[in-house]
Amino acid sequence: MFCYNCGCQLSEHDFCTACGADVSLYKKIMYVSNMFYNEGLERAGVRDLTGAVNSLRQSLKFNKNNIDARNLLGLVYFEMGEVVAALSEWVISKNLRPEKNIADDYIERLQSNASRLDSINQTIKKYNQALVYCHQDSKDLAVIQLKKVLSLNPRFIRAHQLLALLYMDSEQWERAERELKKCVDIDRNNTQTLRYLKEVELMLVPDENTKPPTKRKRDEAVRYQSDNEIIIQPLNVKEPKKSGVSTLVNIGIGLVIGLAAMYFLVMPAAQSNARKEAQDTIARISSESDAKTVQLQELETKMATMQTDYDALARELDGYVGDAGTLQNIDSLLQAASNYLENPEDVQATASELEAIAENVEMANMSEEFQKLYQTILAGIGKDLSDTYYTEGQDAYRTEDYAAAIEKFEKAAYYDAENADAWYYLGQAYLKSGDNENAVETFDQIIQRFPDTDRARRAQKEKDAILADQ
Amino acid sequence: MINFEEELKKFYPSLEVEDAEDAIYNQDLTDMADLLVKMIKESEEKANEVS
Repeated sequence: MFCYNCGCQLSEHDFCTACGADVSLYKKIMYVSNMFYNEGLERAGVRDLTGAVNSLRQSLKFNKNNIDARNLLGLVYFEMGEVVAALSEWVISKNLRPEKNIADDYIERLQSNASRLDSINQTIKKYNQALVYCHQDSKDLAVIQLKKVLSLNPRFIRAHQLLALLYMDSEQWERAERELKKCVDIDRNNTQTLRYLKEVELMLVPDENTKPPTKRKRDEAVRYQSDNEIIIQPLNVKEPKKSGVSTLVNIGIGLVIGLAAMYFLVMPAAQSNARKEAQDTIARISSESDAKTVQLQELETKMATMQTDYDALARELDGYVGDAGTLQNIDSLLQAASNYLENPEDVQATASELEAIAENVEMANMSEEFQKLYQTILAGIGKDLSDTYYTEGQDAYRTEDYAAAIEKFEKAAYYDAENADAWYYLGQAYLKSGDNENAVETFDQIIQRFPDTDRARRAQKEKDAILADQ
Repeated sequence: MINFEEELKKFYPSLEVEDAEDAIYNQDLTDMADLLVKMIKESEEKANEVS
């Protein structure tokens, strides 16, 4: 026990040895709380759950920090089928004492089984729906709903009581008694259950007035003593005549009565039993169907997630192994590197492979090593290749095939960006083909890339001339 | 004799799992120990004001 003032451990004295606060009353409150807890524990032990709830709530009114009392109250609620109340007590208990608390285990056990928790919630919703049906006077629907509730949660006392009340209302006393006895098995001292049970038992006791004793009147027989024997001679009784026809008629009447009794008494009971069994089967199948539906929905969700994952992985795999996949591009690059190392002079073959790679891949998305190797090969063949394309461009330019010349000069400039002549003739080819916009752009490139050179000055002149013409 | 309508009024809807959070927040957790501590503090404050 700790001091309310300073939080120090209290001794047997009526004051706090640390701060001197008077703790006599405080100690008494704690003792009373413990006393109620012990009482609640004893009552729970003999299944007086209602009494246990009362005692434990009293205990918590005196000391809200009585963790044992709160955890036990939660357990008792759970036993009575009041799962949400139980969960609330355990959550409060865990907040009051986060470490070394058994409530933690209880909560985890409930929460770890999602389908169980969902089933509990469904039970509560169905009970509430049954209550609504009762208020709407749809008692048959309420009975069906309550049977479903009790098949899912057989310890739900309030559902048993409501079902018993409905049976009592429809004067099905035996069924009501059966439900109430189930309540008593769970909670032996529930006042409401006992009150209903008393009413039902009163209805089930046979009324003595309806069955008067069938005593033979004294004057129906004559008694007299003959020596040591008492002779009783009944009056108004005739000896039956022994006749074969009357015997047969009597047997026939007996058979007819027997068959009638069978038809009117036994058959309805059998039909009623069959109906009851069918209703029970329907209720059971319905509850199983609900559970299966929940399970099915979970599986469908899981399957959709897995399908999405599968599609993403398939796309990723395709990106690696497809025709334009990463592995194919790496192979092409290695092939280009191999060509370059074996035949350094055959720059055209290496160049065509590099161009094919450049068309297939987005260079920025490739690995750093890939880009590095690509640039290394490109730098190795760039100069020679640029010269080759430049020469071919010149040939085309001279024959006034400016489209081919543009293509060749572009490649020459691409493979060797320092090839100022290639840039210049590219601009000229554009100019000659009438594409002034690209010509000006190309001359701008020359002015920026090769400042203070003869090429730059000539480019500036060409640009000025184009702009002047416009 | 039990009256169905009267008895039905004694049954109230059960709390659903979604309502548990509200039930926990709305629970009055004041206990006798809290009241005692409050009373002691108030009496001490009054004593200090008088002196």
